Order: sequence, then C-alpha cells, then structure tokens
Amino acid sequence: MSDNVLETNGLTVTFGGLNANDSVNLAVPKGSFVGLIGPNGAGKTTFIDAITGYVPMSAGSATFDGQDIGELKPHERAQAGLVRTFQSLELFEDLTVRDNLLVAAYPTKWYSFILDMLHLTPTDHEVEERVNWALDIMGLNNEADAMPTDLSHGRRKLVGVARALAAQPKLILLDEPAAGLDTAESQILGGHLREFLDHDMSVFLIDHDMGLVLSVCDYIYVLDFGQIIAEGTPAEIRDNPSVKAAYLGEQAGEIQAQAGEAQRMSTAKDGEVTS
Amino acid sequence: MIDLPVVLAANLLQNVIFGLIAGLAAGAVFAILGVGLVVAFRGSGVINFAHGAIAAYTAYTFDQLREPGGGNIYLPWIDPIPELGILKTLHINNLPVSIQIQENPSTVLAVVLSLLMAALIGLMLHFLVFRPLRNAPTLGKVIGSVGAFLYLQSVAVLNFGASNRNDPGFWEFTSDADKKPPLENFLGLGSNLPRSTIALAVTAVIVGAIVWAFFNYSRFGLATRAADENEKGAALLGYSPQLLAGANWIISATLAGVAGLVFLHRTQPSQFILLVVPALGAALMGNLNSIIGATIGGLTIGAVASAGVSLTNESWWPTDALPADGIRQFVPLLAIILVLYLRGDKLPIRGSISIGRQPRAPATNNATLGMVVAVTTVLIMSNIFTSSWESALTTTLIFVLFMQSLTVLVGYLGQISLAQWSLAGVASWMVARLAADGTAVRELDFFVKDGPGLPIPIAMLGAIVAAVVIGLLVGLPALRIRGVQLAVVTLAAVVAIEDLLLRNVWLFGEGADTTNPMPVPTIGDSSLSGFNPESNQTDNWKYTMFLLIMVAFVGFLVVNLRRGAIGRRFLAVRANERAAAAAGIDVAQTKMLGFGISSAIAGLAGVMFSFKLSQLTSENFSPFVGLALLAFVYLGGITTLFGAIAGGLLVAGGLSAEFGALHFEGVTQAIINLIGAIGLIVNAIVTGGEGIALLQTDQGKHVLSGLRRDPSIAPEDGPLTISQEELAGTEGATV
Repeated sequence: MSDNVLETNGLTVTFGGLNANDSVNLAVPKGSFVGLIGPNGAGKTTFIDAITGYVPMSAGSATFDGQDIGELKPHERAQAGLVRTFQSLELFEDLTVRDNLLVAAYPTKWYSFILDMLHLTPTDHEVEERVNWALDIMGLNNEADAMPTDLSHGRRKLVGVARALAAQPKLILLDEPAAGLDTAESQILGGHLREFLDHDMSVFLIDHDMGLVLSVCDYIYVLDFGQIIAEGTPAEIRDNPSVKAAYLGEQAGEIQAQAGEAQRMSTAKDGEVTS
Repeated sequence: MIDLPVVLAANLLQNVIFGLIAGLAAGAVFAILGVGLVVAFRGSGVINFAHGAIAAYTAYTFDQLREPGGGNIYLPWIDPIPELGILKTLHINNLPVSIQIQENPSTVLAVVLSLLMAALIGLMLHFLVFRPLRNAPTLGKVIGSVGAFLYLQSVAVLNFGASNRNDPGFWEFTSDADKKPPLENFLGLGSNLPRSTIALAVTAVIVGAIVWAFFNYSRFGLATRAADENEKGAALLGYSPQLLAGANWIISATLAGVAGLVFLHRTQPSQFILLVVPALGAALMGNLNSIIGATIGGLTIGAVASAGVSLTNESWWPTDALPADGIRQFVPLLAIILVLYLRGDKLPIRGSISIGRQPRAPATNNATLGMVVAVTTVLIMSNIFTSSWESALTTTLIFVLFMQSLTVLVGYLGQISLAQWSLAGVASWMVARLAADGTAVRELDFFVKDGPGLPIPIAMLGAIVAAVVIGLLVGLPALRIRGVQLAVVTLAAVVAIEDLLLRNVWLFGEGADTTNPMPVPTIGDSSLSGFNPESNQTDNWKYTMFLLIMVAFVGFLVVNLRRGAIGRRFLAVRANERAAAAAGIDVAQTKMLGFGISSAIAGLAGVMFSFKLSQLTSENFSPFVGLALLAFVYLGGITTLFGAIAGGLLVAGGLSAEFGALHFEGVTQAIINLIGAIGLIVNAIVTGGEGIALLQTDQGKHVLSGLRRDPSIAPEDGPLTISQEELAGTEGATV
C-alpha cells in the first residue's frame, strides 16, 4: 500500500490521433497539496476529465485510494471521494445555493424515495453541519438561499468549490478555481485553500495563476503538450530551466512567481502567529 | 416431402421481397415528409411535430374542393363566434373561415389552392409560433411544436368533420392511375402491385433531388446553410435569418402538402397527422440535415415496415400477439431509437449546447392547508352535484391524478415524455384482463373477457406493475437521448403502444381491439364503480370518495418528493447531468427512478379511469388525448401540484368544460383541445412554459416582468393576433 491517495501510471488520452495526455505519471500523497500547471491547451482539464471519468483513458491506469478506478463511472468515482469542480461552473441553476450543496452532501439509498415521499426521512445533522461549514469557509453564508443565477461569476465559482467540499471528498480536484475571481474573492479562496487539508482531504489544483499555485502547493507538476516536463517543490519548479522555457520564460511569469514567493512567506508567518 | 420447407422458404422470400417493394409507396410519403422536416429544422432549428398535420390539412382542402357540394376552402382557423351561441345572432366581427371557390374546380386549380393552403400554414407557424420562440429554451420549442400539432388537428376536426373521405386523388388524371389495373404478378413475385407505388417512389426521389439541388446550388440554399451554421455570421453578410427561416417554413409546409396530395388516394386525410412519426424517423436517419439521407431513410422505413407486415400474413405468424398494425408502427420507433441511441452520449459532452432555462420548481412547504381546502371543496361539491356534474368532477380528479405523473417526470426530472397517457391505457387494459374471470361483468357487455379473475386490489397492483414495466422500457432511451429528441422517441412509442399493445387481443383478451368491459370494484355489497346502474349515469358518489382518497394520497407523495433529497437530485439531473454525476448522482438510476414513479402514478390514474366507465376503447388513450393532457398540465404549471389541479380543471370533460357547456352550446372536445393548444403556445411564448400556477406567486410576477423586458423572448409585432382573436371568443368557454 502506498501512501498516495491518487496515482496515475502512463495515463494517456487520445483525441483522433492527438495525445492530449501522453503517459502522465503523477502522484498525490495523502494529506498533501499538489498542483498542476501548464500553458493553455497543455491538457490539464483533459487530465481531470480522464481521472474523473468524463473522457475515456486510451492507455495507462489511475489508482484512487488503493483502488483501480479505470472502470468506474463518473458518479462512482465521486462517491468514492474523488470530487471535482468545473472550470465552466456547471451549477444546478434551478436550486438555491444551499440546495446545490445538499445535493452533493446527502447520501441516498435505493429506498430513500419511499421515505421521502412519506416525509419520514430524518434530518441528518452531520450533513447539515458539513454544508454549513462549506458555506462558511467560502464566505457564502449570506447567499445560502439565493439562486446561483443571481450571483456574480466569482461567487458562483466559490459555490462550485463549496459544493465539492460538501461532498466530503478524500481528494478534491480544483479546475482553475481562481479564474474569473476578483481580488477579494481570490483572497477568500487563497486564504482558505490550505485549510482544506485539516479536514481529512488532499487537494489537487490546476490554475493559471502562478502566484497562487506556487504559494499554496507542496509539490508541483508541469504539463506541456500533454507530457509532464518537470516536477518538484515550488522552489525547484521556479528554477527549472525547461519550465521557464515552456511557461515562465516570459517576464510576466517571472513577476508572478516572485509575487507567489512573497505571498508564501507572508502566509507562513501568519501560520506561525496563529499556531 | 423434403421439398416442402424449401418451397415454403422460397415463398416467404418472395413475399418479403414483394413487401419491401410495395412498401416504397408509404416510404415515399415518409421520405417527402422527412425532407420537409429537414428543411424546417435547418431553417429554424425546430422539430415540427405538426408536419403531418399540415399534410392532413392540405389533403382535406384538396378533397373538400372536389367534394360534391363542396368547392370551398376552409382557412386554418375557426370562427369562435357562431360556436359560442349567445353572440350568434349579433353577426358582428365574424372571422372569415370558409371561402367558396367554384363547384368542381379543375385538378390543377385544386392542387394550387391546396398547396397555397400548406404554405399559409407554414407562414402561420413561423410568425405565430416559432419565430416568437426562436430564443426560447428547448422546452419552449417542444411545447410550442406540440401546441401547433394539437391546434391543427383540432381545427381539422372542427372544419372538416370526422367522417371518412373518399377522394380518388391526384393520380386518376395522370397516365399512371390507380384506377387502371395493377401490375399483375409483379416481377414474377406472385402478387399484384398498384401502379401508383412506382409513381410514388419515383416522385419521392425526384422531390428529394430537386430540393437537394436547390439547397446546394442556389444562393438561397447557400444562405440557409450559412445561417444554420452561424446565424449571426449570416446576418453580418447581409442575409436576414428571419426572412430565410420564413421562406424555409413555406418550402417545408409545401413539401408536407405535396406528401398529402400524392398519397391521398391510399388513405384518409386524418391519417397523415401521425405519419409525422415515420417521417421523423426518416429525417433522423438523415441526421436532420441531409436531404438525401432523409429520402433514403423514408423509403427504407416504408419498405422494411411493409416487409414486416407481409410476414404477418404467414400462417405461422402469431397475429393475435403481434398484429400487423403494431409491426407497421414498431419499425419507425425502432429506427428512431437506434439512430438516436447510437448517436447519443451517456453524459452530455463538454461545451455541448445548454438546454436553457427550465421552469422553476419551488417546493411546496405549506401543502397541508391547501390539501385540506382542496379535499373539503371536493367533498362539498360531491354532495351538491348530481349526474353530469358529478361525472365532470371525477373526470377532473382522474386527470389531476394523472397529471401528477407528468409533474414528477417532466416537471421535476425534466424528461419530456409524451407517452405517459398510453401507460395509463396499458394499466387500464391490464386491470380489466387480470380481474376478468370469463363471465360477463355486466349484462350488456359485448364481450366476455377471459382472465385469472384476481381480486380487484391485486389486479390494480398488477396493472400498476405493468405500467411501470412498459414505462421503464419507454424510458430506457432517455439514458442517452435528451430534450426534444426524447419527445420524438416517446411520440413514436405512443403510436407503437396503441397498435402493438392496446389493440392486442392475445395480451388483453376479447374486446381489446374494440370495446373493453371494465371491472367493478366493491366494498361489501356496494359498488365503487363510477357507473351507477340506478340512475344510468356516471355519478356514483362512492366512486368519487374512492378516487378522492387516491388523488389526495398521491398529491401528498408528490409534494413530499420535491421537498426531500431525491427531489433535489431530480432537479439536479434536470439542470445539469454532468454536474450531477460529479456530485455523485447516478444519473441513469435517477432517470429510471423518475420514469418508474411517474409510470406508477400514470398506471393508477388509468386504473381509476377504468373503474369510472363501464367500457373503454383505445380511442380513450389515443395520442391526441395524451397530447391534450400534456398541453393542459403545461398550461396549469408542469412543476407543481397546483399546476396539475389547474390543468385537471381545464381538461375536456372536466369541471370547466361542464361549466362552459352550461352557458354555451357546441363546446366539443375539439374546441377545448383547440383552446388548450392555443393556451400552450401562448404559455410557451410568454412564460417559457411555466404555466398559470407559478404566475400567481410573487416570484412568478417577477419572472414575467423580467421576460417582458427581455426582447429576445417577448412576443413582438403581433405574433398573437389570431390567437388573441380566438381566445377572445374561446375564453368564455372556460371561465
């Protein structure tokens, strides 16, 4: 038994002759915060789609929590604790924010509909608490009874993350959660991301924002043209020449990286103060 | 002796080959209709359920022109005023309906006028229905399309009557007439082929080729294809997408008219309405955009269905269990399911077109008070009412019960099924079969049904199980087929269920194909059947109580379902299947659960319906009844119990109709359905399908005013003119 909650071995996804993911080997140790970065079109979302079952793997394998998940359907992977968010929101627009979370949080049995129809289902306080916690951590308490369509794009993005949190995941896969967020929302998200680790979960983050990735991750993989071109700690990634060539070469990337380093230092200090 | 099987096999082969060829006649009509559907779809992105009805109206028009004592055309609407009695004497503001042309017009004139009629209907559909709906969500377009179907069907019945027509048709004036003797022993296959079969097949190919060439080589065709790909882009190049759409509607409707004219000598005009099902099969085989594909698809479906039917003539074929008409209807269903299923995805792919806004489905949290009020009202009514009023009350209750099956399936889960009323029919037939014991239920029954003679409660349960089994089968395609395409599949299923199951003597015993005697539930010595032999009326108050308990109980269940975890999951699946799977919901299982619950409710409604009347025929469960019910529940509000109640009040035979009949003469079922159809279209345009019930809430008013401000959905430049005129007269009948 390895201590990795997620492991992929030679994971390959082919779209009509093009390898969107080419033999990706990647591991997320239990209780850790792992990032995946790469330029646009590198195959990052395809990778999440592949391990959550939304696109079929052409070759290779994925192991989650010691179990081969290659044959599982998307909802079975979610039930096993592998929960994702979407870049494109994909909220339940006819349900309130709280109901969005409750859908993911409430476990149902085959006979639940009978109890429901007779109004005999007891309230599960543990679930309700978890939902409240997820709303709280994403700062959505005041919007709990609003419809998602009445919220700003950034708030909706946070609802998506809260919905994933409410499902009590073992590993949460965040697909560009910071894209489209304003500064305040970005700070809410960035400030709380590492808190997730205190709730028995591991985190896998995809994002464009180098600052965010370098500041929160323990370990980072870099994807380009479907292949892992580098991996290592944030410091190693920042100094890796091939990463610089593929992604950070531009000056903007360099500035972002420095900003990330600065933020990391300040969060580390905050951590010392609180503990 | 050894040669006998060989001879039989050769015979069989001959018959099947001949069947394939003979089927090209019907196939030709499917092909021409299918091409028209493709043209309309490419022009405006709409699947037009009313396409067969246009063919029917054109065929009626042609026949009416040539009828002795005819020579007139009926415009595709009715004059509400003379129908509504009290205004008859005033002679004001009459809408022209009938225009006298001349007795015995020439065929050319009749053909031209009929096709002009088709084009007029096409234009009406464009301007009054689909143009206002052009930016509406999928749901709005589907119910607009169903409304158009129901409207044209009702207007055809009102204007042309229900009696049979005998038009020798169009081909008698050509060299290749059906009057002429058929081609004897065609190709040595041992059977005689009507000459028009070949003419029809050739016509279909020519029509397909002309339309194909027109769209591929003309500027208009190029512009249409451009607008189909990218409407904004085409507009930037100086083409008006709406003008293009209007022109395409004229072409599409005229093609439907052509189909109606060339096949008239083989069938009744009214039969064309449901030919939209095989035509949809043809169009889908052309992927809704290939004219050649639709032509070949139509001919194939016709040929295969006919070959299948030719098998039923074989001595070994179990005709009782698999009747010829059932086979005929089953082939298009199979074609549609196969094409859509193979093309569908288990989950919609990333970036696929969104389904748009759905009607809101608020949870009802204060249901107890409403329930008490409703039940008390019914109790008081039942005490006051006698005879026809009691009967209208129970009709309303049955339909309130039934409509809750649609609340669950369409309202909560978002699966647009047109087949639920047919499932009520299956349950109705099944309870009669299971309860039958080979003796007459009533002295006057035509048929004595054989059966296991189960006690009524067990027979009820068996009937509901049967409805659930068939309902799950109908729902299976929904695992990969969504939105309007699911509506297409279920419409095909309705037609197949009617001919394959409801008229199946082997399954349902004597009378299934004509008049079914229905069982009598009892408690002790008193009858719970709706029919009261003492008054010779359907006004047994004990039946009303029995029914009321069922309606209230199911209402309780359905309201609670929405409030719980499963209800939330239904709405999640309705909103977004990809996200639902990511939230750990088994989408397939959830859909099947919805189909199961809905079918059980529909089955119970069918069983209760069968207890009301002493006899039922498959007409009671015809596709038109089912679609009218869907229209009224949408009008009431598809997502709530109050919507179902409002819908049940409006339905033909229900309390509003009874009230209307008291004040106005001539309120027939066709008129009520017409009102429903117009209401459905207006509802789709104004509220996006939310219905009356939700408009009364504050949120509903908010939504409504929001819609008015949104120019993309708001009705504009008088798309409602005719509807308003008709409503002005017809509203009186319902209020």
